[in-house]
Amino acid sequence: MDAQPGLDDQYRRSSSWPLFVALGLVISELGVLFGVIPISVGGLVLFIGAIAAAVSEAGYTDRPWRLLAGLGGLLVGVGVLIAVTQASALAPAAVIGVFAKGFAQPPNGVVVRGISIIVAGIAGIVLALVGPQLATTPR
Amino acid sequence: MDLSAQLALTVLMGVFLAAVAMALSRLEDWRTYTPLTSGGGVAGGESGYITREKPLGLTRWLTTVDHKDIGILYGIFAVISFAWGGLAVLLIRTELMTPAMDVLEGLGGEAFYNGLMTSHGITMLFLFGTPVIASLSNYFIPLLIGADDMAFPRINAIAFWLLPPAALLIWAGFFLDPMTGGAIESAQTSWTMYAPLSIMQTNPGVDLFLLGLHLSGVSATLGAINFLVTIFSERNEEVNWANLDIFSWTILTQSALILFAFPLLGSAILMLLLDRNFATTFFTVEGGSPILWQHLFWFFGHPEVYILVLPPMGVISLIIPKFSGRKLFGFKFVVYSTLAIGVLSFGVWAHHMFTTGIDPRIRLSFMAVSLAIAIPSAVKTFNWITTMWNGDIRLTAPMLFCVGFVSNFIIGGVTGVFLSSIPVDQLLHDTYYVVGHFHYIVMGAIAFAGFAAMYYWYPIVSGRMYQKTLARWHFWTWMIGSNITFFAMLLLGYDGMPRRYATYGDQGAPFSVLIQNLHIIASVGAFIMAIGTIIWLYNFVVSWYEGPAAGPDPWDLREYGMESREFEWHADRLETALTDGGSDDQSDD
Repeated sequence: MDAQPGLDDQYRRSSSWPLFVALGLVISELGVLFGVIPISVGGLVLFIGAIAAAVSEAGYTDRPWRLLAGLGGLLVGVGVLIAVTQASALAPAAVIGVFAKGFAQPPNGVVVRGISIIVAGIAGIVLALVGPQLATTPR
Repeated sequence: MDLSAQLALTVLMGVFLAAVAMALSRLEDWRTYTPLTSGGGVAGGESGYITREKPLGLTRWLTTVDHKDIGILYGIFAVISFAWGGLAVLLIRTELMTPAMDVLEGLGGEAFYNGLMTSHGITMLFLFGTPVIASLSNYFIPLLIGADDMAFPRINAIAFWLLPPAALLIWAGFFLDPMTGGAIESAQTSWTMYAPLSIMQTNPGVDLFLLGLHLSGVSATLGAINFLVTIFSERNEEVNWANLDIFSWTILTQSALILFAFPLLGSAILMLLLDRNFATTFFTVEGGSPILWQHLFWFFGHPEVYILVLPPMGVISLIIPKFSGRKLFGFKFVVYSTLAIGVLSFGVWAHHMFTTGIDPRIRLSFMAVSLAIAIPSAVKTFNWITTMWNGDIRLTAPMLFCVGFVSNFIIGGVTGVFLSSIPVDQLLHDTYYVVGHFHYIVMGAIAFAGFAAMYYWYPIVSGRMYQKTLARWHFWTWMIGSNITFFAMLLLGYDGMPRRYATYGDQGAPFSVLIQNLHIIASVGAFIMAIGTIIWLYNFVVSWYEGPAAGPDPWDLREYGMESREFEWHADRLETALTDGGSDDQSDD
């Protein structure tokens, strides 16, 4: 066990990430249920970002970025699945057309939620791409 | 939502995420750039700072992954929840002292009563019961099995940090009602959230409530996985399955039950949310039917009772021998009974549904299994009594609570056996008899065991001893108060008083005077327990600061040949702290 809590050279028994994993999950659940795009995107980005960081800190991966990109990809997949349930057929035109439904009048709430999850996934992927450049502290 | 509101929220979210990123970079930088000694940070003599395991102050508590700290956090959270659930029930019991709606009239009348009742049930089960057990198990399971920490310390912290937001969401309706002019009210679904009522209440407070419940389920599941892995793979080489302590056995079984039960609750809640918000028909009358909800809910709900009672039974089995000067009678059979209860608990759920019109043959099988589960429970009860039989009994506060547990558990258990019989249930279903029965178990037994454990392990956690006289006052107020309240409820049930009602009977109707008198008696008992709780809180807080030092063996366990791993650890810690001249925080393992 001694190897595991070694999240940091300095404080063996503390980690910054669990609190934010929990907060991210709470905020994203609220955002997705009530269909509020900024809240669901922000919550999901915080959620997957904190998970990637915690996994990397625990030593399961060397760096968090690839996992973050993977989780982002997973969200994109889930979001697309949710949105596509509203398509009338599985033909390419219908599937692509479904995304317009979210912002039509009246909007389709399911598509809006799907899009919010896709946007969060893309944000995660972008963060994973620019993160290594921005990170100043070598891990 | 219009565009400007969306923009404002986007900006707000952006500011929040930027603040999070800044806080995190500060924390991480602070760590990374603190000078290290050569050789990876072992004590090299540069400063005492280097050897510290955690940062100081509030940051320590927000970032801790130490099982003992997380145990304390769970404990504080459970106490706050207990206060909330307790205050709710005191308001309920005050209202019920008179037949008409009067005391709560100004606060919202029947709707407020229903909100309080829902909140009381959910809070006590999910925000007090489960966390108080998690508090004990987090602190003591690693010590009892000789592990350095839990298998996944970060997941342990995530499981805890999900709970405070879950509680806020579950209680949100109460806060938001005055702020939104009544647009969002407290959930009034009762803790069982039966469809179609829970679908028909369009109040968004119910959605927040369901989300909170879902999060608390995620938290319990994460914790359960952690305990299963910890007990399986983190045991010290001296601890094997043959000498694993009884508390760890019950936590192991409980965690397995959580693993099978809570994900199902989570899925059912999501289906209910979909019914409420997305026009699905899982639990509607014309769709999957409200009975489907009852099946899914109770497939989780009855194991939940055993999730709550098995660890307290473990606590009782652990503590009674220490103050009886004898080993636990029939240890193996207590373990077998624990496992048997764990398995059987998944075969009794439809005894909550005997009056719903389900097939009589199905009812019969559930009655049989419900009767059968009394056997392992009785085996345990006999083992506790035979452990005490001819023992060298010391009536300390933890032991008093254990004896109280056994006494209340027998009454709660026997009334449960009666209820599992279909004809009895058909008469007593949805009456106060059921309320009395399960309160004997959840309050009379589970909470008693929780307090037994808190008194027993208080010297380890605080390093001090509580005031023994006050502890006895706490016990006797609770023993007398709980029996007054819950026995009056059993009698109310025999008189046909239905549960959940805010008002009752017209004056002059049959039994109306008797029913009001029994309600008054039940309320008096509740207030006696409230006084006991205040005594307990005062005792624990004051003793934490001013209590006499407990010493390495506060219960004289060595003298009685009752050494146990967690008190040996405690003695070692004290010895190390003395040798090093350091404080507990820096050298606590």
